Amino acid sequence: MTDPLGLIGAQNGVGGAPASGGSRPPISGPSFAQTLRSSIEEVNRAQQDATRAVEDLATGDRSDIEGVVLATQKADNAFRMLQALRNRVVEAYDELKQMRV
Amino acid sequence: MYGLLDISTSGMIAQRARLTAVSANLANRHSTGPDGTPYRARHVMLAPGDPTASSEEGRGWGVHVADVEIDQRPFNMRWDPTHPLALKEGPQRGYVRESNINPLVEQVNAVQASRAYEANAAAAEAGKQMIAQALRLLS
Repeated sequence: MTDPLGLIGAQNGVGGAPASGGSRPPISGPSFAQTLRSSIEEVNRAQQDATRAVEDLATGDRSDIEGVVLATQKADNAFRMLQALRNRVVEAYDELKQMRV
Repeated sequence: MYGLLDISTSGMIAQRARLTAVSANLANRHSTGPDGTPYRARHVMLAPGDPTASSEEGRGWGVHVADVEIDQRPFNMRWDPTHPLALKEGPQRGYVRESNINPLVEQVNAVQASRAYEANAAAAEAGKQMIAQALRLLS
């Protein structure tokens, strides 16, 4: 299993014994912000592709309606995926916020 | 992830090309070129792999139009001695050469292409639903 966010490795520091001094292992891989930014960029690119495809179809620059539908579908799916991930993250944050210390 | 959609899209595009060829054949059934040669039937040849696809699966498993073959079979002959293009001499004097299209075959090809298009669209729909199901699991 891949662990793009480094969350699984970080669990030792959260739930296990408190890290004393600088003994915590360094987190490898891209940070959460970087991952989020790159996925937003990817979704944005898919949406730009879809918009361009629809424009080209409307102006007659391309005639393959199937390709346009495919681009639109890809953009739609990518956006839904990002939205679902964002909802999960916000949910987790809310959970943390309501936690009594 | 979008390989499935790429493959189905390439299939739809290929079947549309086939139906385009059938339409051209039916439309040009009575056409003659500038030198008096009748139109020859066109047949779309498909080959595996879609080089224009954006995903690796689409490039490897898709389909593309490899070639449009021109039918070299002999022309149909129709008896019409008063026709300006009727053959003036030889054993087939009085006959007019017509395109080598068989309208029945073209009709069957048209049905086949449109059903295959439908099948590809249904496969794309199923793939879309699979992705949507996976997303529903996440939210």
